[in-house]
Amino acid sequence: MTTARVADRVKTPGFGREAVLLIVLIGLIIAMAQASPLFLTLDNLLDTSRYFVETGLIALGMTLVIITGGIDVSVGSTLALASVTIGFTYQAGVPLIVAVVLGVLVGTACGIFNGVLTAVWDMHPLAITIATLSFFRGIAIAITNENAVSSFPNWFGLFGQGAVGQVPNQLFVFVVAAVIVWFVLHRTVLGRRIFALGLSQQVARFSAVRTVRIKVFVYAITGLLAGIAAVIYTSRVSTARSDAGTGLELQVIAAVVLGGASVRGGAGSIGGTILGLLIISVLNQGLLLTSINSNWTLVIIGAVMIVGVFINEFFRRRQE
Amino acid sequence: MSPVLEQPVVAVSRPPTRMWLRILLRPEAAAVFFILVLIVVFGAAANGFFTLGNAQNIVDQVAIVGIIALGMNEVILAGEIDISVGSGVALTSAVAAKTAADHHTGLLLTTLVAVGAGTAIGMVNGFLVTKARIPSIIVTLASLNALRGATNLYNPTGVPSVPENVRAFGRGSVLGLNSAIIVLLAAFVIMGVVTRHTTWGRELPAIGGNERAARLAGLPPDRFRWVAFAVLGACVGIASMVTIGEVGSVQPTAATGLELQVIAAVVIGGTSISGGRGLITAAVAGALLLGTLLNGSNLLGLQERWQSLFIGAVILIAIGSDVVRRRMLERLVTS
Repeated sequence: MTTARVADRVKTPGFGREAVLLIVLIGLIIAMAQASPLFLTLDNLLDTSRYFVETGLIALGMTLVIITGGIDVSVGSTLALASVTIGFTYQAGVPLIVAVVLGVLVGTACGIFNGVLTAVWDMHPLAITIATLSFFRGIAIAITNENAVSSFPNWFGLFGQGAVGQVPNQLFVFVVAAVIVWFVLHRTVLGRRIFALGLSQQVARFSAVRTVRIKVFVYAITGLLAGIAAVIYTSRVSTARSDAGTGLELQVIAAVVLGGASVRGGAGSIGGTILGLLIISVLNQGLLLTSINSNWTLVIIGAVMIVGVFINEFFRRRQE
Repeated sequence: MSPVLEQPVVAVSRPPTRMWLRILLRPEAAAVFFILVLIVVFGAAANGFFTLGNAQNIVDQVAIVGIIALGMNEVILAGEIDISVGSGVALTSAVAAKTAADHHTGLLLTTLVAVGAGTAIGMVNGFLVTKARIPSIIVTLASLNALRGATNLYNPTGVPSVPENVRAFGRGSVLGLNSAIIVLLAAFVIMGVVTRHTTWGRELPAIGGNERAARLAGLPPDRFRWVAFAVLGACVGIASMVTIGEVGSVQPTAATGLELQVIAAVVIGGTSISGGRGLITAAVAGALLLGTLLNGSNLLGLQERWQSLFIGAVILIAIGSDVVRRRMLERLVTS
C-alpha cells in the first residue's frame, strides 16, 4: 500500500494543491491591487523581492527538513551568527571576501551541528534546535557584546543592494538555489530518500537508506542557505548585529507549511514552498501599502497560516 | 535470554541494592544531578550563593517560568507543544491590568478575568489542534504571532501602573516567603494532586506515548488533549497575575521569548519532548536548574551577554546527559 502511495506521489507531485495556492496568490494580488494603486507596479514587485529572498533561501532548506519530519527553529540565530562572523572577522582585518566565505561556512557548521545532534542522539529536533536557537544567538551576543559593524566597502552592496537592470541581484541567487534544491528533491534518488525518511524512518532504515546521513544533510543544507541569506542580509542592511533575523524562523516555517509541506513528514514540494513564500510576502507588502495598522498583519498572517494548513490537512486526509 | 526477565522476584525482594537504578530511572535525574553540581560549583566560587535569601531569590526568579512549565509539562506529555505562551502572557496581563485599572475590580475578580482569558486562549489553541486537526506547532506558531499582534492593537501604549490591590501575587510575602513562591508552590501542589488522582492526569501520558493504544483502551485522546491546552491556558493566566504583580506595569512587548525558557525547563527537567514520558516534578526541577544557573552566573559577575549562550549550552548538556542516561539503562537492562 505504501509503495502504491509513493508511486502516486511520483506521478502527481501535489499538482492540485499547488494550483489552489496559485489561485489564492492571484486572488491576493488582485485584491492588493484594488486596495493600493502602488502595489501592481513593476517597481514595487521587484522591490518586494528584495525582502523575501532571505526568508525564501532558508525556506528551501526548511522544506527538506520538514519533509523528513523534522523542524529547525534555530535558523534566525544561525543567520545572526553568520552575519556577525562576516562583520567582525572583517573588522578584525580579514579580507572581506574571506569573511564572506567564513560566514557561509559558519552557517553550514551550525546546520551540521543541529543535524548531528538530532541524528546521533536520536532526539526530537524541536528540543535540539530550541537549545541552539539560544546557543547560536548567545555566541553572537557574546562575541559582539551587542556592538555593530556597519562600515563595509562599497562593493559589498553587490549582494543585497545591487541590481541588473531593475532585477535585484539576490533574486538571481534565489532562482539558482531554488532550481538546484528542486532538482535534488524531485529528480534524484537522494530526494526520494528524503521523502522515504519522512514517511517512515523505520521502513527507510530497513530499505538501506542511511537515515543519519540524510538527516545531517538536510540540516546542513538549511545552515548553508542561512549562511548565504546572512551574506545577502548583511549586505542589504549594511550592518552586522547580533539581533539580526530575530523571529525569522516563524516566517520561514509559515511559508513552508502554507506551501503544503506536512510537519508530520513525507509531504511537501519546492513549488509549494515558493508559492507559500509569495503569498506571505504579497500579504506583508500589500498590507504595508494599505494604511492598515501593521499589527493586523501579524493577526492576518496567523489566520492565513491556520486556514492554509487546515485546507492542506483536510485534502491530505481525504486522499488517504 | 535476559536475566532481568528471569529473576524479577529477586529484583523486587532486594530493592536497596537497586536503589541507585531506581533513582537513575527517574526522568528528572539529570536535572537534579546538574543542580547539585551547580550548587557545589557556585557555592565554592561565588560569594553569597549559600544564603537563604539567595535560595529565595532563585525560586522567585523562576516562579513565572515554573508555573507555566507545570501546564506545559501536561501538553508535552500529551505529545503536543505550545509555543504561544509568551504572547499569551502579554495578552492576558494586558487584559487583567486594563480591567483592574478601568473598572476598579478587586483581586479575586481580576484573577478570574486573567485565568478566564488565559483558559479561553488555551481552548482556542486546543480546539484547532484536536477538532480542526492542525498540528500543534503550526497552530501555536500562528497564535504566537496573532496574539502578539492582538496585544499591540489592544494595548498599544502599555499600562504604566497597575492598581496596587491586584499586585498581591507578585509582591509582599507570607510567613517570610515571597508571594510568587507561594503561588508556585500552590500551583505545584494542585497540579500534583490533579495528575495523581484524576483519570485525566494519570492517563494523559498514555495518549502522548501511543495514541492508538490509548484510544483502544477506551480513553478519549481529543478531549484529554483539549483539557491539557486549557489547563496550560489557566497556568498562563495565573502567571500573568504574578507578572503584573512583580513588574507593576504591562508593556506590549512583555514576555517575548518566554516560551523558550518554559519549554527548556520542561525538557531539561527530563520530560520527553516526543510525549508520553515525564513527571510533574520535571517542570519544577527544570525551572529551578535554569534559575540556579542564571543566579549563579550573575553572582560570579558574568554579564548578561553570556546568558543566552549559557542557557543554550545547559539545555544541550541536559539533553545529552539524558541520552547517555537512557543508553546506560538500556545496556543494563539488556546485558
